[in-house]
Amino acid sequence: MLILYSIKTFKMLIDKKILIEELVDNFPFSVNYLSSQGIKCIACGEPIWGTLEEACLEKNFTSKDIQEFVRELNTLSKNN
Amino acid sequence: MSIDINKVLKTLGISDVNKGVSTGQEWFETKGAITSSSSPIDGKEIAKVKNATLDDYEMVIKKAQEAFKVWRLVPAPERGEIVRQIGLELRKYKDDLSALVSYEMGKIFQEGKGEVQEMIDICDFAVGQSRLINGVSLQSERREHRLFEQYQPLGVVGIVTSFNFPVAVWAWNSALAAIAGDVVIWKPSSKTPLTALATQKIISSVLKKNNVPEGVFNLVVAKSSVMGDNFIADRRIPLMSVTGSTAVGKRVGGIVGKRLGKTILELGGNNAVIITPNADIPMAIASTVFGTVGTAGQRCTSTRRIIIHESVYDQVKNSMIKAYKSVASKIGSPLDEKFLVGPLIDEHSVNAFTHAVKSVEKEGGKILFGGEVLEGKGFESGNYVMPCIAEAKNEYEIVQEETFAPIVYLIKYTGDIYDAIAIQNNVPQGLSSCVFTLNMREAEIFVSSAGSDCGIANVNVGTSGAEIGGAFGGEKDTGGGRESGSDSWKIYMRRQTSTVNYGTELPLAQGINFEF
Repeated sequence: MLILYSIKTFKMLIDKKILIEELVDNFPFSVNYLSSQGIKCIACGEPIWGTLEEACLEKNFTSKDIQEFVRELNTLSKNN
Repeated sequence: MSIDINKVLKTLGISDVNKGVSTGQEWFETKGAITSSSSPIDGKEIAKVKNATLDDYEMVIKKAQEAFKVWRLVPAPERGEIVRQIGLELRKYKDDLSALVSYEMGKIFQEGKGEVQEMIDICDFAVGQSRLINGVSLQSERREHRLFEQYQPLGVVGIVTSFNFPVAVWAWNSALAAIAGDVVIWKPSSKTPLTALATQKIISSVLKKNNVPEGVFNLVVAKSSVMGDNFIADRRIPLMSVTGSTAVGKRVGGIVGKRLGKTILELGGNNAVIITPNADIPMAIASTVFGTVGTAGQRCTSTRRIIIHESVYDQVKNSMIKAYKSVASKIGSPLDEKFLVGPLIDEHSVNAFTHAVKSVEKEGGKILFGGEVLEGKGFESGNYVMPCIAEAKNEYEIVQEETFAPIVYLIKYTGDIYDAIAIQNNVPQGLSSCVFTLNMREAEIFVSSAGSDCGIANVNVGTSGAEIGGAFGGEKDTGGGRESGSDSWKIYMRRQTSTVNYGTELPLAQGINFEF
């Protein structure tokens, strides 16, 4: 499982290899954030399959974009 | 009528914490994540489930492979007898299982009962089919040779089901797979695992009574990190049947395609009703309202678009708004029979609904009714919405997408039935469609080769609520798979052509001479 934990905060960290299902379950705010970027995490009421990186690549985002999404999601995670 | 959900859970054998892996009668202690299932009705946790680990998955696959070696040798009518008994057992528990479907998924109790009835119906169908699995005898060009085609069992069938029909889709697949001589591994939706556990418990008494080997009917509750791409890519599973979104289907199709496996993909729809000037409008409205708001718009076959001739557009629009005003007072707990529309499955679906409402307006559409998230007494879970009617154009981006919620787009057409069909077919999906007309020509054109491009094309019958007797599925982004009735059983079997030489000569086909 590609979920990292910060030792100091015991809070899960998001990386590009996180499964969309895990993102939806553990970081529900991500759904709206990614939707605003044009990435749908939910289809027919269920999480799509695959990783965050794969979902981004599907929408033709670059590695740099993905890095930025991951950074922003982790920032949002701290505030949620 | 009030339903005592605790009594229902007790009757169905659901505890506070449940094992999530079974190979038939046996249930296994697993070390995977413990997940909980909550009701969209009130947001309360119903129960917890211990998920599978990779080791558990491996154990189940091996058990299934072993069971297949035994099960494939059981005569098909005997396998049908097991399915017949499963149907009887489901009849016994129909009300309880229906109530759990309602509570865990959020559809109204009547629709919950309809779903369990579908399970029973497909069992009945499969029993008959078990005596009808046939082949074909052909004329050999060689003397004293017999040429024939027959169907053999495939092996392990993977079944991935979605939350909106948490148990019926399993039944569609497993009843046919079982009579075909296959064994099944069921991965239920993570949103509705309890109905799956309940179903497995219901059938286990039949399996015990008939000494059905462990591994014929398997259930694995697992996260996709344990049972995701690896499950789909597993070469030990010759057929994967997946119900879900087009996005998931494309992924599954790609992975299974790489190993040249078989798939049944039952994916998204963007289903349209055409109402022509020759329609029985009251009938069209009554049927369409069920299609748009039934199951809170969370059926694959829910009506998403209504394509209306300009001459009756205002009449249809006003009748739809009037009908929705009536439905507005009937939104509430699905377990209370006075309500017709329940909640959406979760907050994400609510967000998808509000996103669609905003998007259609942004693209130039007009909201004619509803679109709000409901608040206050009875709606505390935050999952209830007011069904929405919007005026739109077919080319809007949001109209081209499937929103799994009760939002329907009214689209005006001019010209004749061909113009309406062109609009209807102009979406990526191709699941269900219908025309309301009393004009024979319009009706026949709609179901002709120049008509609807969907897997389901009805006349004076709405888009949702298919019977099990016909093959179910759709074209284009809907995936092309067929489940349930007609000759859908064939996909669960492999086709084999055999030539038997009962003579004393060895003639080669095409008269080839090969002497040595």
